[in-house]
Amino acid sequence: MEIKETALGDIRVLDLADEKGLYCTKLLADLGADVIKIEKPGGDPARFIGPFYHDEPEPQKSLYWFQFNSNKRSITLNLETADGREILKKLIEKADVMVETFPPGQLGGIGLGYPVLRGINPSLILASITAFGQTGPYKDFKASDIVGEAMAGIMYLAGFPDDPPNRLYGSQAYHMASVQAACGILTALYVREMTGEGQHVDVSMQEAVAIAQESAMQTYDLRGEIRQRTSVSGLAPAHPAMGTFECKDGYVNIFLMTGLWSILLDWMESEGVAGDIRERYKGVFEKLDDLFLIFGLVMDREAYARFLKDEYAPVDEHLRAFLKSHTKQELYDGAQQRRLQISMVSTIEDLLENPQLKALGYFVDVEHPELGATLKYPGAPYQLSETPWRIQERAPLIGEHNSDIYEGELGFSKEELILLKQGGVI
Amino acid sequence: MGERRLPFEGIRVCDFTWFAAGPIATKVLADHGAEVVKIESMTRFDRLRFVQPVPDEKAGNLNCGGFFNNFNPGKLSMVLNLTHPKAVEIATKLILASDIVVENFSPRVLERLELTYERFAPLKPDLIWVDQPMQGLSGPHKYYAGYGALITPLGGLAHLTGFPHRPPIGTGTNYTDYVINCGHLFIAIVAALRHRHKTGRGQHIVMSQLESAVSILETAILDYTVNGRAHFRNGNRLTNAAPHGAYRCKGEDRDCVYITADGPVHGKKNDRWCVIAVFSDAEWRAFCRVIGDPPWTKEAKFATLVGRKENEEELDRLVEEWTRERSPEEVMLLMQQAGVPAGVVQDAEDMLVHDPHMRARGYYVYLDHPEAGHTAYDGPSFRLSDTPGQLSRPAPLMGEHTDFVCKEILGMAEEEVNQCFVDGVFE
Repeated sequence: MEIKETALGDIRVLDLADEKGLYCTKLLADLGADVIKIEKPGGDPARFIGPFYHDEPEPQKSLYWFQFNSNKRSITLNLETADGREILKKLIEKADVMVETFPPGQLGGIGLGYPVLRGINPSLILASITAFGQTGPYKDFKASDIVGEAMAGIMYLAGFPDDPPNRLYGSQAYHMASVQAACGILTALYVREMTGEGQHVDVSMQEAVAIAQESAMQTYDLRGEIRQRTSVSGLAPAHPAMGTFECKDGYVNIFLMTGLWSILLDWMESEGVAGDIRERYKGVFEKLDDLFLIFGLVMDREAYARFLKDEYAPVDEHLRAFLKSHTKQELYDGAQQRRLQISMVSTIEDLLENPQLKALGYFVDVEHPELGATLKYPGAPYQLSETPWRIQERAPLIGEHNSDIYEGELGFSKEELILLKQGGVI
Repeated sequence: MGERRLPFEGIRVCDFTWFAAGPIATKVLADHGAEVVKIESMTRFDRLRFVQPVPDEKAGNLNCGGFFNNFNPGKLSMVLNLTHPKAVEIATKLILASDIVVENFSPRVLERLELTYERFAPLKPDLIWVDQPMQGLSGPHKYYAGYGALITPLGGLAHLTGFPHRPPIGTGTNYTDYVINCGHLFIAIVAALRHRHKTGRGQHIVMSQLESAVSILETAILDYTVNGRAHFRNGNRLTNAAPHGAYRCKGEDRDCVYITADGPVHGKKNDRWCVIAVFSDAEWRAFCRVIGDPPWTKEAKFATLVGRKENEEELDRLVEEWTRERSPEEVMLLMQQAGVPAGVVQDAEDMLVHDPHMRARGYYVYLDHPEAGHTAYDGPSFRLSDTPGQLSRPAPLMGEHTDFVCKEILGMAEEEVNQCFVDGVFE
């Protein structure tokens, strides 16, 4: 098999990130960067986050750790010691990128602020991922994922109006901060090709998430109106045949564009479940199929609400009955054959069985020799033909690469390593 | 110090993308200096131009939609009717004059228009060609249609988000469009640009929006493939924190309009919430001090994380008794002063107008648009110390730069351009 080069194979990254930045450095590592995870002696706190391999809660068996640290190397280093900080400075001399998530000012407080790092290595790119960025009145506020989602406006949009706003599953504020940081790092790396100089990338989790408010900001700016949680419709105001609907074995999501009602009616009629609704509600379907009329109605909000309640409601009942008579897979495939937009609301089982993801080879097997097992991971978010994404190595064990880095690269002797170990440095 | 160049100055992007996941990626390129030429036609214009919000007095004006404008500042707009052979010739010229081509058509349209990497790569080996289909360029579902609205449910996030007794309604937005899928795309594009800079070679990027969306499910996939455990939506709760959630706070005695699924609702601004996240025992003790150490906090059942998790429903109710009497800003500030993670569940007004931190950092940028007026845009989502992104111009009017692109970029003569206008090439 042809071995391709990677996009970041010439780049070394020092990873001092907590959960906010783990996905950022994974993105870099999976594009080929040599990412060195710097852990506290005894293991990084993220190793204690579950779930765990076979539910055995041990730091070498955290699936959370596995997920976010593929392709990285690990060394242990205690930055609270003077020796630890000197070693980090040595590593910085040869690094291209450093990613950190300390509260603003903390690195500076231990003599490792950006000006110092730049002095050591002018081509270093330092990415700082924090809850609120390096400046501003809230910069020292403490925040976990839910605080990021709340303060950036996306949580307010999710859920039912009667319920508390919903946090999105899976630490999405951390993911978004990580993605934006990787965007900044890639941009800074590209600039460095021209100038030879590094720079400081400041990522605020709040700002990283803000654009995910969809059109809420503009709705306030242009109309003085506040977009609220939209319950099952997903739209404000609700549109006919759009949103989450129950089916026989779960849920589907429908986004039925205007002009397509007759196709949906054909489908219902072919199964004999449409009765005479095409004729009986002819006038309603004409309105539903008229893009300009519907959008006109949407702009006249009150007329639109009357239309939904007085005219559309009986059609909606028929639609729901039809959906309840089918499985999500039948509706998804049947709709797509007719080029209607219905998708299944996938469970995790559905994703693993999804024929498209299988055909694309999305899920990848990664060997874990210590566990005597090969685990199936989520795969590439993108395909690059010349410099492909790949997982080459499982996540590292604690300090797995101490010897490679400390002896092989920095030239410490065995005696010195013993001394550093005893001093609690590594 | 000499004038700083923006990162992508001199890079030209031929942009066929529409909606959000493509245009936001090219917005970030434009914010950082790339020359982005957005191609639309009068019949196949970017559908976001048509979507709310628009001020009532500008209803129907395709240049005034806030949704569209926010994702397209700094770009050039060209109108090309690709059913016209001359338009195809111009598009071909523009592709060959570009460094990057980005599209998010359905693969069906791509094949019909013969807009494929295979066709253009031999003509321009350093071209970076970017396809962003819904599901992929191969596989049994490659022709499956969809918008961002369908990717969030199809990709698994909707099933996992929300309260367990509620249906899986998702995030209230087309979530993956706005940061995840456009961000992944941007990362791939810039990685390819850097590779091209080093080697002189272009490449083909394919980002299946489905694959990109499934990549951000944290441990949901591994916990299933390894332990057979299928995650389910669990509201605002976490296994390692309590209290952890959004708590109702005191409303404001101030008029506002909420846009809901039922349409506009006029009333007081009373839908106010604050999140509180207590992980450690130290944070729990600080939390108790902030709320004045009421007797219930001394009960044994709340003394440990395990106890608080076991009695979480009651705990949440007690917490809310305290938050209800206070504004969310007051709750946040009191908690933060004591070192407890907390934050207002901000709505768009809070974000744009009131949040002193957002204002101090100048995140939102106001630009003067010739038809939409003085309007707000999302600023750069990451900040570079030496070569920061900037929003140089508002979103373009439809076709505003057709003439400019033809003459200044493609070197077409005045007469030829005029003939194209007459022949309906630019419609």
